[in-house]
This record gives sequence, C-alpha cells and structure tokens, in this order.
Amino acid sequence: MGNIRAALIRAWGFVTRQRGSDDRDLRAELLFHTELLEADLRRGGMGGEEARREARVRLGGETQVAESYADQRSLPAAESFLQDLRYAVRTYRRAPGFTLAALLTLALGIGATTSIFSVVNAVLLRPLPYANADRLVGVGDGASAAGYDNVGYATFADYRDRTRALERLVAVRSWQTTLVTSEAERVAGMRVSWNYFDMLGARPALGRTFRQTDDAKEQWRVLVLSDSLWRRRFNADPSVIGRTLRMNDQQFEIVGVMPAGFDDAISSRFYKTAEVWAALGYDASLPYACRGCQHLKAFGQLRPGVTVEQATSDLMAVRSDLARQWPTEYDQREHIGIVPLQDVISGPVKEPLYVLLAAVGFVLLIACANVANLLLARGMSRSREMAVRAALGAGRGRLIRQLVTEGLLLWTAGGVAGIAVGAFLLQTLADLAPVELPRAAAVGIDGWVLGFCGGLSIVTGLLFGLLPALNTPLRLTNALASDARGSVGTSSRRARQALVVIDLAVALVLLVGAGLMLKSVGRLVSVDPGFKSERVLTAQFSLIGEAYREAAAVYAFVERIVDRVRALPGVEVAAAAGQIPMGGNGDRYGFHIEGMEPANPAEAPSPERYSVTPDYFRVLQIPLRRGRLFTDADHTTAAPVIVISETAARTLFRGQDPIGRRVRIGDPTGTMWRTIVGVVGDVRHTDLAEAVWPQMYLPQSQMTDSYLVLAIRTSTSDPAALAPAVRSILKDADPTVPLYDVATLDQLLAKSVARRRFVMMLLVGFAAVSLLLAAVGLYGVISYTVAQRTREVGVRIALGAGRGDIFRLVLGSGAITLITGVAAGLGAALLVMRFVQGQLFQVEALDPSAIGAAVMILGVVATAAHLLPIRRALRIDPTIALRQD
Amino acid sequence: MLTSNRNTGKLLWVFNRSEGETVTQPRSDVLQGTLDLMVLKTLDTLGATHGYGIAQRIHQVSENLLQLNQGTLYPALLRLEQKGWIASRWGTSENNRRARFYSLTKSGKKQLAREAEDWQRIVGVMGRVLGSEGA
Repeated sequence: MGNIRAALIRAWGFVTRQRGSDDRDLRAELLFHTELLEADLRRGGMGGEEARREARVRLGGETQVAESYADQRSLPAAESFLQDLRYAVRTYRRAPGFTLAALLTLALGIGATTSIFSVVNAVLLRPLPYANADRLVGVGDGASAAGYDNVGYATFADYRDRTRALERLVAVRSWQTTLVTSEAERVAGMRVSWNYFDMLGARPALGRTFRQTDDAKEQWRVLVLSDSLWRRRFNADPSVIGRTLRMNDQQFEIVGVMPAGFDDAISSRFYKTAEVWAALGYDASLPYACRGCQHLKAFGQLRPGVTVEQATSDLMAVRSDLARQWPTEYDQREHIGIVPLQDVISGPVKEPLYVLLAAVGFVLLIACANVANLLLARGMSRSREMAVRAALGAGRGRLIRQLVTEGLLLWTAGGVAGIAVGAFLLQTLADLAPVELPRAAAVGIDGWVLGFCGGLSIVTGLLFGLLPALNTPLRLTNALASDARGSVGTSSRRARQALVVIDLAVALVLLVGAGLMLKSVGRLVSVDPGFKSERVLTAQFSLIGEAYREAAAVYAFVERIVDRVRALPGVEVAAAAGQIPMGGNGDRYGFHIEGMEPANPAEAPSPERYSVTPDYFRVLQIPLRRGRLFTDADHTTAAPVIVISETAARTLFRGQDPIGRRVRIGDPTGTMWRTIVGVVGDVRHTDLAEAVWPQMYLPQSQMTDSYLVLAIRTSTSDPAALAPAVRSILKDADPTVPLYDVATLDQLLAKSVARRRFVMMLLVGFAAVSLLLAAVGLYGVISYTVAQRTREVGVRIALGAGRGDIFRLVLGSGAITLITGVAAGLGAALLVMRFVQGQLFQVEALDPSAIGAAVMILGVVATAAHLLPIRRALRIDPTIALRQD
Repeated sequence: MLTSNRNTGKLLWVFNRSEGETVTQPRSDVLQGTLDLMVLKTLDTLGATHGYGIAQRIHQVSENLLQLNQGTLYPALLRLEQKGWIASRWGTSENNRRARFYSLTKSGKKQLAREAEDWQRIVGVMGRVLGSEGA
C-alpha cells in the first residue's frame, strides 16, 4: 500500500517537478539544521569558525543533499531519460542532413511495411466479422479433402439432415436479378438457406431475416436488402419493410434490411458482393435440385469442439452411404472437402500477400541496416565527444544509455513518419490494385496496425540503435589519447562492412524475386489464349421472366439484338454466347459419347459449354481445325450439331475421329443426340496460367441460354465507345433488360493476369528501392575507407603508383564486401525462393537466368558505387595528403 | 556513522570503531528499514519534531554511534512522507525560526508497531542463533 502510494506521489512529483521552489524549501530546512548543529557544537566548547566547519563536514555538501532529495522526490531514471532525450534532439538538430537522410530511410521502410501489414492484418489475420467465425467452414465435393466445390441440392439436403458434426449447414447460390422500378437495374444477390444469417450471427437493422417457412418452393420470394441498396434505391426509408418489389417479372416482399457493417464476404468471394438476398426455396422435386446438379455452395458451422478432420470423416461417411444408395449419381473418385471459411475467403490471396510482406520486410531490413550504418559513421566522428564525457565522469553504461536513447528517438520519429507514409502508400496501393481483395473494406490503419508499427519501430530501433552503442570503446581514454588519424574503431569499420553485406545480400534476394516474377509475367502474357482479344467489346444481359419462358422467344430476341448491333457503324461482326473466356462465369456440362459411356454416368467428362450464335468464332477468331463451323442453317429445328475443341477431340475419343460421332449433353438418358461437325482451337477459359480444359460449342438456337454475353468485334481502336449505342439497342427492345458488365476483351484478359502483374510490380519496386539503399550503403563505406587511407594513397602516389594502381586499390577495398554480400545473398535466395514458387508461372524458383541477371545488376550498381570514391582517390595530391592533420 | 553513496543512492553504514578506522559496508533493504524504524520510533517518542531534532535524538540515543548526515535523513523523511507514515508542516521553532515539523500519522503508528515487532523477533532469533553457536 505504502509503496504504491509512494510510487504515485513520485510519479506526480516527476510530472509537476519545479526545481526552483522545491529547492528553496529544502535549502531553508538544511540551513536551519546546520545552524542548530553549529550552535550545539559551540555550546560544546568549539570556536565559532571551527564549529561552522565541523557542522558542514558532518552534514555533507548541500548540493549533493539537494540532488539525492530531488531523486527521492521524483523518478531519477525518468529524469535522466528526459535529459538524454533533450540532448539527443539537440545533436540531431545540429546535423540536419544526417537526420533527414536517416528519417526518410526509416519512414520509407517502416511505412512500406506498415501498408502491406495493414492489408495482411485485415485480410488474413483478423477473424472474419461473424460470430463463431472460427467454427465456420465451406463444405463441398472435391477431388481431395483440400479441394472444395459445388454440391447438388439433394446431396446438400442429405448432408444437412444426416451430419452429426455440424450445427448448421446452409446452401447459397448466385442470384443476379433485375430490379425494375422507374429504371431497370442489375442487382447482385444470393439465394440462401433460411438460416444463413443466423449461421453468420448477423442481425438485421430493420425487420427480420428469413424464417424456415420462407425456405420453400412457393414461399421464397421474400427479400432482405443490403444497407447500400436500401440507401441507393429507397432513400433509407424505414417503411420499406412489408412493401413489394418487382425483381425480373415477379413480386417480392421486403422483410428486412441488413446493417451497414454487414459484409457478405461469401458473395464477394464467389459471385459479386450481394446487395439483396432471397430465400433459397428449393425442394427435391425441382428439376435442378438433382444430386448431379452441382451449382450450390454449402457452408457449415461446426459443433463446439469438433475439428475440421472430424467433420470431414463424419460427412465422408454420409457421402459413402449416399454413393452406395445412388451409385450412378456420384463420382466415386471424388471426396468431401471441408475448409475453414477464413481460408475459403482469403485463400487465393494468402500466398501473394505473405510474399509481399516478406519482401517489404527485407526492404525494412536494408533501411535499418543503412541507418545503423549512418549512426556508426557518426559514432566514429563522435568518439572524442564520448571520451570527453567519460573523462568528466560518465560511466560506460551511461554513455550506452545515451546512444540507445538517441537510436530509439530516431526510430520512433521514423515510425511516426512511417505511419503517415504507410497511410499514403496504402491509398496508392488500393488505387493500383486491380485485384478484388476479399474484405478490402476492412483494410486501414487501425489499432493493430499502429501497435505493429510502434512495436516494429521500437524493436528495430533497439536492435540497430544498439549497434553503435556496443561499439563504444571500453577504455575511452584511448580515444582521447589517439588522434583523428589513428585507427579508431576498426571494430566499427567491421560492423559497417557487415551491415553493407546485409544490404547487398537482401538486395540480391529481392532482385532474384523480382526477376522471377518478371519472367513469369512475361511468360504468362505470351501465352496464346486461343482467341484474339483486340478491338472486341463484351457486355452482358439476361432474359428472365414470363416473356422469355419459351426458348424460341429468347432466341428470337437474341437474334434481333445481334442483327441490330452488327448493323452499327464500326462493328465488323457480332455474336452472343452463354459465356465467353475470361468472362467470369463457368459452365460445364456432362458429355456422353455414343458407344463410350462410362458405367457410372457421373464419371463422364464435363467440358466447358459455350452456346453461341454462328458468328462467334469470327468475333473471337477461334480457328477451325477440321470439319465445319455453325451456319444460319443450324437453326432451332435443324439437326442438332456440336463443335468441340482440339483438347476435347484428343482426350475424350480414345484416338478415334470425333467428326460424325453423336453425343448427349447434360442428362445421359433424356436429351437428344447431337452430331459432332467440327473441331476448333482451344481457348483458355478462366486464367492464362491454368491448363486447357476440354470444350464444346452448341448453336445458341439449339441450346438457348437466359444469361447472354454479347461479343462485338469492331473496326475502331476504342471499342468501349460503342457501349452507349449497344445499350440503347437493348433498351429499345425491352426497357426492363439492362446491359451490365461492359468491358473490352482486352480488359478481361488483363484482369486474369492482374494479380501476378501486381505482385510483380511491387516486387520490382521493392527490389529497386533496396538496390538503391544498398548502393548508398556501399558507397558510404567505400568513401569512408578512401578518406581514411588518404595518407596511404598519397604515399603510394608519391612513390610512383599509377592511376591503375589506385583504381585497383579502391575497387579492392569494396571487393570483399561485395563478394561476401553476393555469396550471402545467393545462400539466402536458395533458402527463400521456394516460398514464391506458387506465384511463378513456367519458371523454376531457382531459375539460373533470373539469378544471373540479379547478380549482374547488383555487380554493376555496386561497381558504380565505387566511382565517386575512386575519383576522389585519384585527385589526392600527395603533398597535401602527407601534411594532413 | 550512517551515510550514503550519492552515485548509487545506496546507504552505507559507517561505524566509528576507533580513531582513524572506519568500516564501510554496503547497505541493504534491511538497513534502510532500520533507518525508517529509528525515525518512526523517534517521532513516536518526541511527537512533532524538525529534522535536526530527529538527528540529535538518534545521535544521543545511539550514544554518539550514529551520526545521520543530511543526505540520508532528508530523503528518508521524504520517503516516509510519500508512504504516508509521517506528515510534515511548516511551523515556528523554539528559537522562533521557520522550521518544518514532522509527526507520525495513524498508519505510521501501525507501521511502527509492526516493524518494531518484526525487529524484536529478528533480534531474538539472531541472538539465539549466535548464542547457541557460541555455547
């Protein structure tokens, strides 16, 4: 109790200390004391002068007493820290150039690290913003336990009813609808099981979410709106609850509005960020509820204490039962896949983000090494100051504390500036990033990021700020005794060289990484996508509702639109398709070849399906290899035909000629036979990096889609300029059908390499910065060496050394540092580079040309760092050099 | 004589054994506690007293063995005040001078009782230990 009270009072004394008035009181008290003692002594028989002297001797020096009294009143450690701090500020202000250079370097390093960390923090480290986020999982069919894919409704329902490991299991599907009020607008949404929001622990801001009774075949037309849609289209009117709304051509009742903070990361990850939700409303009688109709995504909530492995074996047992019960419905080679939701959401960006964080950490390492280097250089010129202070009574510990305080001050200031730099870089990063980052809204400078930044500054500050402190000579008097030309600090020079070795090694690692990414992206963009993307505009629309119930009506509409678009000036050729490569959708159908049906139809191949109008191949310029393309004669009532891709022809027919063979699409028993009439070139559907999948093409007239993509080859250099004309054609034809996702095919193609390109850009940037910093560090050490050896060089010149000798002398002084740095860098690269393999495309992590190029660039830059010092050495005038000091 | 090392802030015992011979031993927390105990006891006996009075009293009671120097006494008084065991106020001395008078607080009295008891016990234990060894 007493101790706590005393500590508080002392802390208060530290805050409110006022040397003057506190001192006056004490001195009055001490004087009084001394006088009384003196009087007593005199009474004891001492003479006046003697008594005064004796009293003072017995009681000790007044100043010392005042000091120890002040120490007791306040906190001496804090006082001396403040003193050190004030002194540090003064010394930094006396050297503004040094201070600015060090601060800029640190701010850059800490800021860059902070910006990347804030992304990692929001996307990977923070738990998902849902209750029980750690118990949420994605559940699906996959090739392995780690794989994760869609499920059919009947399968989902059996999983849901039979699992013992999951508390809840919900299903969702994409639901892109048209909101028809005064103007038709395409709205992204999802249809979800009734307990979807309950599983996420999300409550509505207004009204309610779904009830079990909503989740039925005839009852599902109830809506929950997102905050953004509610504000945009309903002016945040609280009376929307209970109102009906026309989506496509059906009436829906609005039952709830979600709060602004609700982030549906699932929709953003797989479809488009949902602004509206309707109940799933499936039952087993629906034609698309079959076991093989794998178009739903399932998510579950583990029971408390149940692990992912336990849930996997539980559901695998359920699946085995189902596969026994319906042997023709399940691919026996497939497996149940259960993945934590956090990994489902951030999976694709996890590795690239960690690679970037590691890279930026390397940049910070170089930055710190460089500043420590500057401090060391400054420490050498301050050795006299230190010696003087030591001579005046400062202990070694006291001097070290002073130097550590100086380092901490520098790093803390660098950290503060770093937060500003980090916020700026984060904004730039967000503007540049072409990738749709999951949970991007949560990215920002929050308490965690500030804490990280502060911790980073202090830890690096202590580590690197301590270096010059450790270098304080043990016997400071030596420093005084020796003069400036003496060999002060060989250990200091070694430390500086070691720091430059770190610089060079880390720069080499980053150069290798950047080189690998450059090569990967180069390889990637030179991959032939199988189609020509230049001057092609794409746009999407969908035809849903009563007017488009009949396929014939849809096709008639599509034909009319395509004809009118083709007639626009600047259009060479136009087509419509159910999907296009890089368009962001995926559609695969079962492919049952006559005479080659597998025993289990569920194990039949499932190529990508494109239903296209005849000119599609001309728009995308997909080459015909054999047979023929579609013509206008392949109309609705003509003999059903099909065209397949080269890969399909090569892999699915066991070496036989596919032309003329008949196949069934989708349902293995019910539908008509279609005859293969042609083989065309492969295209890459989702990603240039992915292997080509078998493909099939059907005439849109013979298999009509309700979601359509217009593909328009133009003769202008700016195909996007055509968009308004296309939009008005569609509006004329039906004002309730909006055009959406308008983009050139070039843009779509670029988007598919965007992630790698972005990682590459950042890595190249980091490598460039680190190269620059390493060169500066090397330059600093070499010029110092030259300056130190001025006299030696002078002597050599006086003794007849030529320019070549001086050249070699200076280069030689840096050569060992450079070679050590390169060797260390190569070693580190060998260790580190396998972690970037996942980001590479057709490039080995230890690609010799990338490593060679990195070593060469580093060598050239390092040699260039010698040039100025060499020039200076060559200009040394022996007569002046010898008389120096 | 009790004095202090200003650099380390540590107290040192300085015994005047005989002329010309002083023995210095590092102070420990026990010894700091001893000084506190002496000051508390003195204030308990004398009532409100100024610093000089406390020093004189200890000097006399110890039969001139303990000479408290100001650098030890005043920080100790401040420390005791911070702990809430003593209080101080400015007043007028017997010779009509402005002086600071220290007095024991209620919690100081309790502390004194507690420490005195502890001290007696330690003295008793040490006496027995040393006594039995001697026997």
